[in-house]
Amino acid sequence: MSSPDSGAALGSQAEVRGAIPGPMQHGLRVSVDTGGTFTDVVVSDSNGALSSAKGLTRLDDAWAGIEEALEILSAEGGLTVRGLLTNCTAISYATTMATNAILTGSIAKTAFITTQGFPDILTLRHGGRADPFDFALPFPDPYIPRSLTFELPGRINARGLEVKPFEPPEAERICHQVSELGCEAVAVCLLWSHVNPAHELAFASVLRESAPEMAMTLSHELNPVIREYARASSTALDASLKPFMQRHFNTLTEALTGAGFRGNLLAVTSAGGCLPVESIVEKPIYSIASGPSVAPVAARTYARADVKTPDVVVYDTGGTSFDVTLIRQGQIATSRDRWLGDEFTGHLLGISAVGVHSIGAGGGSIAWIDDGGLPRVGPQSAGSQPGPVCYARGGTRPTVTDAALICGYLDPEYFLGGRLRLDVDAARAALDTEIAQPLGLSIEQAAIAVLVVADEAMVGAIREITVNQGVDPRECLLVAGGGAGGLNVVNIGRELGCEVALIPRSAGTLSAVGAQFSDLVADFSRSAVMSTIEFDTPRAEDTLRELDGAIDDFVSGLASSGVVVGTIDRDFAVEARYPDQVWDLKVPVQFAGGRLGPDAVDQIATRFHEVHHRTFAVSDQSLPVECQQWTGCATVHLPKPSLAMHLGGEQDVPDREARAAWFGGEPVATRVVTGSGLRADDVVDGPAIIEEVTTTIVLPPRSSARVTSVGSYLITTFGA
Amino acid sequence: MAITPRGVGTEIDSMLLAVISKRLDSVVREMTHTLFRTARSALINTSRDFSCSITTADCELLTADRGLPIHCAGSDLLADAMHRFHGDTIAVGDAFLHNDPYNGNTHHADYSVLVPVFYEGTHVFTAIAKAHQADCGNSQPTTYASYARDIYEEGALNFPCVRVQRDYQDNDDIIRMCRARIRVPAQWYGDYLATLGAARIGERRLQALLDKYGIDVVRRFTREWFEYSERLAIAALKEMPAGTVTGFGRHDPVPGMPDGIPVTATVTIDPDAGRAEVDLRENIDCTPTGFNESEACSRSAAIAAVLNVLPRSMPLNAGTFRRIDVRLRRNCLVGIPGPTVSCSVATTNVADRVISVTQAALADLGPEVGLAEGGMGMGPGMGVISGTDARRGGAPYINQLFLSVYGGPGSPRQDGWTAFGVPVDGGLMYRDSIEIVEQKYPILVDELRLMQDSEGAGTHRGAPGSRVTLGPTDGPMTVAYVTDGFTNPSRGVRGGQEPLRHDTFVRTASGDEIAVPKIGQVELNPGDRIIEVGGGGGGFGAPDARDPERVISDVRNGLVSRQRAREVYKVACVDGPGRQLVVDEVETRELRGTVEE
Repeated sequence: MSSPDSGAALGSQAEVRGAIPGPMQHGLRVSVDTGGTFTDVVVSDSNGALSSAKGLTRLDDAWAGIEEALEILSAEGGLTVRGLLTNCTAISYATTMATNAILTGSIAKTAFITTQGFPDILTLRHGGRADPFDFALPFPDPYIPRSLTFELPGRINARGLEVKPFEPPEAERICHQVSELGCEAVAVCLLWSHVNPAHELAFASVLRESAPEMAMTLSHELNPVIREYARASSTALDASLKPFMQRHFNTLTEALTGAGFRGNLLAVTSAGGCLPVESIVEKPIYSIASGPSVAPVAARTYARADVKTPDVVVYDTGGTSFDVTLIRQGQIATSRDRWLGDEFTGHLLGISAVGVHSIGAGGGSIAWIDDGGLPRVGPQSAGSQPGPVCYARGGTRPTVTDAALICGYLDPEYFLGGRLRLDVDAARAALDTEIAQPLGLSIEQAAIAVLVVADEAMVGAIREITVNQGVDPRECLLVAGGGAGGLNVVNIGRELGCEVALIPRSAGTLSAVGAQFSDLVADFSRSAVMSTIEFDTPRAEDTLRELDGAIDDFVSGLASSGVVVGTIDRDFAVEARYPDQVWDLKVPVQFAGGRLGPDAVDQIATRFHEVHHRTFAVSDQSLPVECQQWTGCATVHLPKPSLAMHLGGEQDVPDREARAAWFGGEPVATRVVTGSGLRADDVVDGPAIIEEVTTTIVLPPRSSARVTSVGSYLITTFGA
Repeated sequence: MAITPRGVGTEIDSMLLAVISKRLDSVVREMTHTLFRTARSALINTSRDFSCSITTADCELLTADRGLPIHCAGSDLLADAMHRFHGDTIAVGDAFLHNDPYNGNTHHADYSVLVPVFYEGTHVFTAIAKAHQADCGNSQPTTYASYARDIYEEGALNFPCVRVQRDYQDNDDIIRMCRARIRVPAQWYGDYLATLGAARIGERRLQALLDKYGIDVVRRFTREWFEYSERLAIAALKEMPAGTVTGFGRHDPVPGMPDGIPVTATVTIDPDAGRAEVDLRENIDCTPTGFNESEACSRSAAIAAVLNVLPRSMPLNAGTFRRIDVRLRRNCLVGIPGPTVSCSVATTNVADRVISVTQAALADLGPEVGLAEGGMGMGPGMGVISGTDARRGGAPYINQLFLSVYGGPGSPRQDGWTAFGVPVDGGLMYRDSIEIVEQKYPILVDELRLMQDSEGAGTHRGAPGSRVTLGPTDGPMTVAYVTDGFTNPSRGVRGGQEPLRHDTFVRTASGDEIAVPKIGQVELNPGDRIIEVGGGGGGFGAPDARDPERVISDVRNGLVSRQRAREVYKVACVDGPGRQLVVDEVETRELRGTVEE
């Protein structure tokens, strides 16, 4: 990830030749986050002001949910949907469709081509399991079954030399069989192809000859990194999505065109940026989990507007999951450890993606009592169907949302702006039977216990991504999003020692807003192993020049897709380690004008020692640093909307009726404020509850919230 | 604060209990993360052969979140040694290095670092990181000295809980001793730093916890956390059938014991009392081999076997362990070793047998209890490789591989876990990446595949074993290994079958296949290959009661042949639509004798 301010020091900035200020700067920009339940749509108008709406997602028709939300938004602006889309220059689209296609098995029948002798790379994963004493858990199936796995003769070794030759007749036989079996896609991952791709390329040309229409992903092109499971898994996921996502984007493009849209459709990626649709259909794996990956982009933007701190923890609490990401020194954390599903039993994405750490704790998480008499929350969730007991849609087990309702934090009449009426009695009855009675507590005490346990799980998740990286959460700004993010922001802040927290006015649609602020981002990497004591400058420079060239190609591809671009950042880095270690840390590299800086090697070593010490509490300056993987990241800046959003438009909105909310073990008469009535610099002191349409902010005694100039709530967790 | 019979006393207790226990687990996870990411040898930084834990000042295990089963019940013994040897001299800034299997450690190759954690001058916790070293200075280049008739022949350096740091500074005497006597000293030192770093991270986080809650709350938490864990164990044991059973098993022949090593375990489940007991005292006396168990391994293996068969998972701590009595005797091969007896191989082979024999014996108590025996391990695909690396100017290397796939045991509810490892790790350890080991060491792996028809057949089958073929690329290489399960394969239970025998042989550069010892070490030259086959888990229940759809799925995926499906599982298949194999219902009914007259 790059950011204009921190990237400028390290990368080079250049105006793209031939880029002219286009309509994008002046027209509307629409962003979409298609989630499992709701489709969030945000529009920025020609003045850059934002407005948002939600439609219901239809998993078989993404356009339906978008259209429903657009109808609300266009009506507000006195337009038709066609009128709105005709004036729209770009749509940024984050979607759960790829994830959903995998979970529901609607992906292509895909063959896996592996090096002879190694048919079980996808089955064995990297080994390990969560619980060594659990013999009831079934071993998970591989992403592509053994029956569709083919072993290709030939072998490359660790130095990239051919040990056994590629055998064209055998490749032809395999291609024939793949077609016979009715496969629509082929994933090719051979050992050491990231060092020498000759055999993958040779197979690809045989396959193109034999089945020109077949979708195909080559591991060395998609994800040229060492570790065969990570590479194979990303290749398999990618290939299997190609036919489906191609169709999906075609259908969506047709629907949009039919509705009058003439601008650029940009796909949001798991790397937290956007790519033109033409690029994402070539690498559809980047579409997986794209929504949660842009929430941090929104958080960073809001944080910059109001608080001058480089380190931010952003979390989004939804119905079933709590997603948290670290932004360090303005850079959104990235990770190669993201799994589709759980570690050990899911599938590793393997690509560098925004480091979203996700735990099963949200408003829908179910509270229960274990054998030893301890209250527990999750990981089982009531989700949105049947949902919490208070939704009265058939849920019978008490959830975090039910506990929040019982504590008086939610208004049963004003949930989702009054769209859903909550059943307090049902929630109380369920919590009484399942928690309060077994523990011998009052219903309210039991509700508080449930919330405290849920808080601790979330605090634990935040600690894992901060202290594990050597970051002190007390020095971070907390940014909370999601429908349930404001309920416990003060408690989480206090538990972590964070004095301030920020809740954007748009907290309920954080990902869709993030897509408004995202840039076109593309990552490239090349392997070139060398030590800082035997540094091969020409080879390093060649490698970096290759990356620079790949960025050039990406940019010219954008131009030919009609995307109008402003400035680009080019950030280069190297993933490095001490000798004999196998896990890398990334350090920035100075590279400009085709040359490394004069003291580049010393800087790599110095920075590596620093990062290692910060992360692991130890470093060894007597050791050389081994450079492994070189990366180049292109950030092509897109015009941004302003942050202002419905600021205090409604004059003199009176408080709602005060109600009893439970704080510190007792009911407290609590002021209830309607968010739309607040203006910049207004201060609300706890105990208070601020109700927004898509989120509720709970301010316990001694905390307070101030409305910032862009309309966010800046919360002081430890008041006087 | 009193505990009511119901369970939790007050809201504060139940909340704090939940909160602090999660915080402690997260401390252990941080320690684990540090050790994994910074270590130098592949067996730590890739295959994760280590455990982190926290004990109380009273030497009771508080948590070992995701610790290896064979390490789980030993931390209290380690902490106890620290107190016995250092008593009142233990101070802030100390760290102790402990690898002595006669004073609570598992075996010499596991280096434990203990850091006492203080709060206002009082010792409250001990943070412990234990990691298997690539080398520990044995007389032969292996950390599994199968050949050793005693500690002297074994040759390992022994550190009986020595103070390796005072005031946060290394005692360089000890570091120099290790550097002088351990192969590839730079690798060892990097791993030592990683282990120490993990324990120090634990110290920092525990101090923060004490700052937040104060010593009184933390002590009360500890007491109640143990009681809570005990309640969980009681509740689980109450669901088990009552009875006493004795299991017998036999490790394959080892040097000096041509008939192999008999293993006996008598298990009693008393649901009314909420107790389990594992009696290992009937085992033979210690032997002049490297296969004797340390006390830590004997206890951990017995406890792991019981935890394996409980209906739910328990927190790993002393409270849970209060409900599992382990009976050991001195100078017993599976018990408490005498001072010169070698325990070099204590963490795997016989320990794998103890776990397997115990859990399999429990299957006699009823159809829904117990487990088959897990895959027997430690062939060359898990061997210790050593030599010099011509690619790195002849630098010496040594490391244990984690390539082989050993199969998990069939259970009353499920097939065995593929990619299991061996019973002592319960599938917790990770696997080597082929590319990482080929980059780090001068070897080429030709093949690593699950092997057809190698599973222990059953209603719930054991997981298949594997076939691994590897050899050196640039010069001679020594491979040391301790394969078990050729003479005495893992067993199935309740009609479940044993897997394919676990074998090891060499194919020379000229193409000849030659027999090599199942336990020992071989020299390979470039072009030579060592091959390991088998290692699957035992089956649970009769194979002809297996769901035919599951059988067909295995046939489709090449894990079971059509012939074996027919002969062993009594399932016939035919080509269905789209050339997909399907069950031949009519013939299967005939084969299974379930045709209605």
